[in-house]
Amino acid sequence: MGRFFINCDEASILSTREQYGDLNPKEAFRHKLHQGHCIRCRSFHKNNERFQRKLRGLKWVTLSDSQKDSIKKRIAASMKK
Amino acid sequence: MPEVKLIPEKWVDRYGDYLFNFTISRVNDPIMAQDLVSETFLAGLKSAHRFKGNSTERTWLISILKRKIIDYYRKINSNKGKAEVRMSYLSNSDQEGDWMEEKAQDLRNPNVEDTIEQEELGKALEECIACLPERYATIFVQKTIDNLETETICKEHDITASNLWVIIHRARVQLMECMNKKWHKDN
Repeated sequence: MGRFFINCDEASILSTREQYGDLNPKEAFRHKLHQGHCIRCRSFHKNNERFQRKLRGLKWVTLSDSQKDSIKKRIAASMKK
Repeated sequence: MPEVKLIPEKWVDRYGDYLFNFTISRVNDPIMAQDLVSETFLAGLKSAHRFKGNSTERTWLISILKRKIIDYYRKINSNKGKAEVRMSYLSNSDQEGDWMEEKAQDLRNPNVEDTIEQEELGKALEECIACLPERYATIFVQKTIDNLETETICKEHDITASNLWVIIHRARVQLMECMNKKWHKDN
């Protein structure tokens, strides 16, 4: 994709991908360029960043692999019955 | 509405972390939370024949889990003879199980407000995730909470990376709207 200019739909997806650190330098540049002239996408990006900060602030707890394995074993045993 | 089929083999990977988070914010005990999640899956297996496919797999499992949590509190209350107040496992893991009376003095601590806000935010988010379409919720949780690699999620759901990002983007937009609505409604 050699073009510099992207539309708002593409920009909003790039904004989301940026929250997960998934943009390569070219995509990051295109996104910045688009934001430079699109107020709506700039505003969306700010909200998206704010939302991401909130998500990061939340303390998620997850099951460890061993906990998952233990539950899977119980399910498997129960399914055999 | 297309018929929903149960796939117990995938329950742990798909819903395990979400249900665990949901439980731990309510029971304040990681071991008990794991047990309740495990019991939920087993109860789901036992009553699988009663699943009519009217709701999604996740919604159905959550409804079972909620009943398990209520039973857990009923059992505790009947054992102790007085109401136990749920405290935050996440904020004070070294003091889990303390009573509200003992905790009350901590309310003067400025960190407590943040913790309460975090808890409320977490619950609001859980509720909003529950309103998402099944696929969106699963993929959002896998990417955002479980931090799974894009490739792994794509393989599991048989989708392309572009599809995945569109799904995550839409999920986030819906979540932001939902959170905003909740925030304005509650304040």
